[in-house]
Amino acid sequence: MSDLIEVRGLRKSFGEHEVLAGVDFAAEAGTVSVLLGPSGSGKTTVLRSMNVLETPDAGLVRIGDASLDFGSPPADKAAYRRAVKALRARSGMVFQSHHLFPHKTVLGNLLEGPVQVQGRDPEEATAAARELLAQVGLAGREDSYPSQLSGGQQQRVGIARALALRPEVLLLDEPTSALDPELIGEVLAVIRDLAAERWTLVIVTHEVRFARDVADQVLFLDGGVVAERGGAEVLTEPREERTRRFLSRVLDAG
Amino acid sequence: MPPFRPLALLALVVGLLCVAAPATADDDAAPRVVRVGTEGVYPPFTFHDQDTHELTGFDVDVMRAIGEEAGWDVQFVEAPFDSLFPALDSKRIDVIANQVTVNPEREARYLFSTPYTYSHGVIVTSKDTDDITSLADLKGRTTAQTASSNWAQVAQDAGAKVQYVQDFGPGVELLIQGRVDAIVNDNIAVLDYLATSGTDQVKIAGNAGDETLEQALAFRKSDPELQQQADDALATLAEDGTLAKISEKYFGADVTVKEGSRDVDVAASDSRSTPEILQDTAWPMLRGLLKGTIPLTIASFLVGLAIAVAAALARLSSIKVLDQIARVYISIIRGTPLLVQLFIVFYGLPEIGIDLDPYPAAILALSLNVGGYAAEVVRASILSVPRGQYEAATVIGMDYWQSMRRIVLPQATRIAVPPLSNTLLSLIKDTSLASLVLVPELFREAQVTAANTTEYLPLYAMAALYYWVVCYLVTLAQGPLERRLGRYAT
Repeated sequence: MSDLIEVRGLRKSFGEHEVLAGVDFAAEAGTVSVLLGPSGSGKTTVLRSMNVLETPDAGLVRIGDASLDFGSPPADKAAYRRAVKALRARSGMVFQSHHLFPHKTVLGNLLEGPVQVQGRDPEEATAAARELLAQVGLAGREDSYPSQLSGGQQQRVGIARALALRPEVLLLDEPTSALDPELIGEVLAVIRDLAAERWTLVIVTHEVRFARDVADQVLFLDGGVVAERGGAEVLTEPREERTRRFLSRVLDAG
Repeated sequence: MPPFRPLALLALVVGLLCVAAPATADDDAAPRVVRVGTEGVYPPFTFHDQDTHELTGFDVDVMRAIGEEAGWDVQFVEAPFDSLFPALDSKRIDVIANQVTVNPEREARYLFSTPYTYSHGVIVTSKDTDDITSLADLKGRTTAQTASSNWAQVAQDAGAKVQYVQDFGPGVELLIQGRVDAIVNDNIAVLDYLATSGTDQVKIAGNAGDETLEQALAFRKSDPELQQQADDALATLAEDGTLAKISEKYFGADVTVKEGSRDVDVAASDSRSTPEILQDTAWPMLRGLLKGTIPLTIASFLVGLAIAVAAALARLSSIKVLDQIARVYISIIRGTPLLVQLFIVFYGLPEIGIDLDPYPAAILALSLNVGGYAAEVVRASILSVPRGQYEAATVIGMDYWQSMRRIVLPQATRIAVPPLSNTLLSLIKDTSLASLVLVPELFREAQVTAANTTEYLPLYAMAALYYWVVCYLVTLAQGPLERRLGRYAT
């Protein structure tokens, strides 16, 4: 059991439309996995299944010692809720459009999870939060409200908020897609630092060049299945025709 | 939105509905508390003294004398005449002392003491009317009467159309304004009005029949013991001349014997100038505002908001039954008049054993009303919080209630403040209806003085001014509150 993350046979349909048709992957601790693929390929659904923002129809998700088999979930509702809670507790999530709490300060956003949910000592959590803010380059902005920050700063707070929970895995859902081009770099730099610090990351992104630099594992999704997988070389020397087509489209656009 | 636990919500709603506990039972220990219902706005029988502001009048004095004789602890409860009988039925009061005329319909429903007033009816018209001098002339004409008074029946029997008014004074205003042709009423009340108002706009145009009418105390059929005690006391008071003395004081004649009312000479019950009246009423009205209107408003608004949040969450719930219950509740509240809701809670519920005191009853009815209106405001505000906020709360591990309390509701509050301030302003004004369920508040004080003095315009204008000032202060507070709640938005 050397893999920290295990995803097996993930299936999900929205009505008639099958979004995931059996997705498998595994990731070791301290590695960066990049999910990419055309829109509608199911990559975001895979990510959202890993913390049960979507409930898969079948398949298994395991992070560390918490796992949930959606094909045969616990019959007892309370047991199911416990399993979901345990799974969620092992990951942090960074959203495409940050979803910071607008009515809380930057520091308040970082403390909400540790203090309210995890019940940690406020003083200790505050010190840890300040450290995280410094790490993402936002020391001194503790008392600002999200609306007073730029898009890049907001997303960096979003990353710090996810890290404040001390998760085993960080899930990033297109963290730079909603940003103005000139703000993308500062966010990618922060993620690069996390990769260098051996955080376990699962990233959905269209930033191919960035992915090439940081990915230990690349999963190319198409039509709800993993069409091609491998190391970063998938992005430079793809074997599959559809991977090639997708990459040239994305790179041309970039 | 994630599903949530229905039982917790249900417990919350039930808890809120139980906030007002049922009234305590009567105490059997002597002396017996006898609650006496009376208008307080019908001089010279039951009204407030212009100097002391104490309840006084012929009926009040008679009742106090009876209480002393019978060994009762007499407590007066003031309510509009039309509320007195429902109040007696629902055991809010034990006896009515308010010049209740004995007639067969009433005798079928209530017990009456021996009469303590004999009066005769007169017809009042404007000074220029000369074609109405007897009951026969009322056929096809319009009269202004109190809904449940005996005189309304007399006018109707004479073939008159009846326009209902709350008490005698407003009826005279209608008469002066030419909106009705006549009023049939007790000659004593009319003489008092003429003396007090000093008006020459209306006159006594003739007698309403030759009958002498008898006024007596009304009791519940189930309370013959009380009636017997009252009769014994009345007999003693008649014998020792107490009744005659009280009558002389007010009427210069003994109306407690038959035909006595023919010699009545009434002095003005109030002779102050308009500025004096306003000056004397300013404090009682302020007291009504501080002790009635404002506490009622605050309590009803807070409980109402809690109900609104519960109803809004039920409407948004994935559990169909909760949604349906909330829909029905909101529909009933918004589809029925507040006045009717108040009467159902106060006069209706006692029939099924839910017996609330005036304040709790008024607060319950007003909060349910606020809850029904505010529920949709709260629901819309919750819906306006982006879905991403729920997801962000979920992924940091919050459960439904945590994310509602810490993330969603604080943001919804900011959006809800402007429309909710409308609800609050309406509520402040709606509390004026509470006087109808025996809660003394601002407008009631205005009515009490207006009845004595006939100064309707200045007194009601002053009441309006009080309401306006309170509402204005609320709107002044709204700006800073919105800025504070919106400090995070640029």
